[in-house]
Amino acid sequence: MGATFVRNWRITLRAYPWTYFVGTLATGVLTIGVSLLAYRAIGGGRVGASFTAATGSADYLGYVTVGAAALTFVTRMVLWVAKAQITEYREGTLESQLLTPARRLPYLVGVTAQALSTTAVEVTVLVAVASALGVRLSVPDPLVLLAAMVAATVAVVGMSVPLSALMLAAGEAHITQNTLFTAMALLCGFTFPTSYLPAAARWLGEALPVTWALRVLRAATLPGADVDPWPAFAVCLVLGGAYLLVGLSILPPAERRALHRSARA
Amino acid sequence: MSHALRVVAAEALKQHRRLFGQPLVLFSMLLWPLLTLAATYYTVLPVMESATASQRWPVAADPRRLLAFLAAGALAYTFFFSLVQSAWHFSFERVSGTLEALFLSPANRMALVIGNGAAALTQNAWLFGCFAVAAATAADVLDVAHPGMYVVAALALVVPAVAWGAFLNSLLIFSRDSAFLYTLLDDPLWFVAGVRLPLFALPVWIKAVGVAFPLTSSLVVLRGALLDRADLGDLAGALGWLVVLTVGLFLAASALLRLGEARVQRTGNLQVF
Repeated sequence: MGATFVRNWRITLRAYPWTYFVGTLATGVLTIGVSLLAYRAIGGGRVGASFTAATGSADYLGYVTVGAAALTFVTRMVLWVAKAQITEYREGTLESQLLTPARRLPYLVGVTAQALSTTAVEVTVLVAVASALGVRLSVPDPLVLLAAMVAATVAVVGMSVPLSALMLAAGEAHITQNTLFTAMALLCGFTFPTSYLPAAARWLGEALPVTWALRVLRAATLPGADVDPWPAFAVCLVLGGAYLLVGLSILPPAERRALHRSARA
Repeated sequence: MSHALRVVAAEALKQHRRLFGQPLVLFSMLLWPLLTLAATYYTVLPVMESATASQRWPVAADPRRLLAFLAAGALAYTFFFSLVQSAWHFSFERVSGTLEALFLSPANRMALVIGNGAAALTQNAWLFGCFAVAAATAADVLDVAHPGMYVVAALALVVPAVAWGAFLNSLLIFSRDSAFLYTLLDDPLWFVAGVRLPLFALPVWIKAVGVAFPLTSSLVVLRGALLDRADLGDLAGALGWLVVLTVGLFLAASALLRLGEARVQRTGNLQVF
């Protein structure tokens, strides 16, 4: 785990993917930008009653900003963790990884730890830009915020491991990852409350641990939203753990399939 | 002229064979735009429901009109983005070593990039285009002055998009890094072009940047003609500017191609990746 952490930091320092960074940051900043302009120029600084009813707060800009920051976090983390193994496969090092006695979970935890440290910087930049644009954020309860970060990490790792298996088995990452990102942006309640969605889509969202992690995050950051974050926290951990177990159990067959494919080619 | 047309047709056929039936097209041109459209709609909905919104922007009062407005934006954006994707595919010519062969052939360079872009457009955007037209007809939100305006809207979308594609493709003669296309032209493009907001909500300096992109004016024409019952007279300004931009892009593309070819003849790095 430690070795993976150090190695990935070296890769990052030597060849940092700046275009990726600008790309994800731009998505976050522009989402906030659209909401900001709509809120000021069209809404006249007010939101409809349905939003206040659904969230218990009228802080629309804070809601969208926190959601955009969370979406950046989730996107970047999934890109790191779920793509770790298919990148090894593409670079030709998957065989060596399978030959070493290192186990899969510590390897993935190492990748996650390194990803957390770089993603933290990126999310901080995004929140700083939002504050520069005039968005005011508040954190009524720092302990809950910490819990939200733990929940989000568990949720992301839980979803990334089965995704990694899927990518290895399909030998493809671009379509899988972008479909997941666009679906999550719609289903999980990043920039609007999930109660706006039709019932079927809402249920799909409930099955994703990220949705529950966001509920904890809202409890930590929305002033006036008086909800107990701990049930959502528990559901998030259980769901994330279940995804992780499923992922770890389907990873070996996926690796075998990828190896067979590269042996044939 | 017939020579150039044959080059356009051949390049278009090649692109067709490369792209047609790829699952990527289905995802990037239909599924992702639809999911993103829905997410955008729900994100701005709280603001549109506020009491002031319908006074400042009548479209906000009716969810169906709001959705049609955003869908028109998504449609035009998808058209232009499919050209960004085509330029990305064009950069593969360099990777696979065939860019050099293209430049050794006597084919008209301009015809090449136009063929490439036009094929990508018909390959990719027709899917979402058909869907958007079907959805708009079913939801009964179209408000068109006379049938001729459909032709005007389609031309105002397709011709500048092909010019845009030719321009992007010619840029790639100079650079082997196509990642900048996605970074610079994906998110910032929809932001400045008023894809998700009416232009009046944008600050002046963003509007000024947006005017330089053909997508902005294409959208004004598309929305005016299909949703707001505008006729040719109402849209004359936007159409005129669109013609200027289109001609400018074609001229810039042809100049870039000539400059770029002279440069690679000198440096010999066309096959270098």
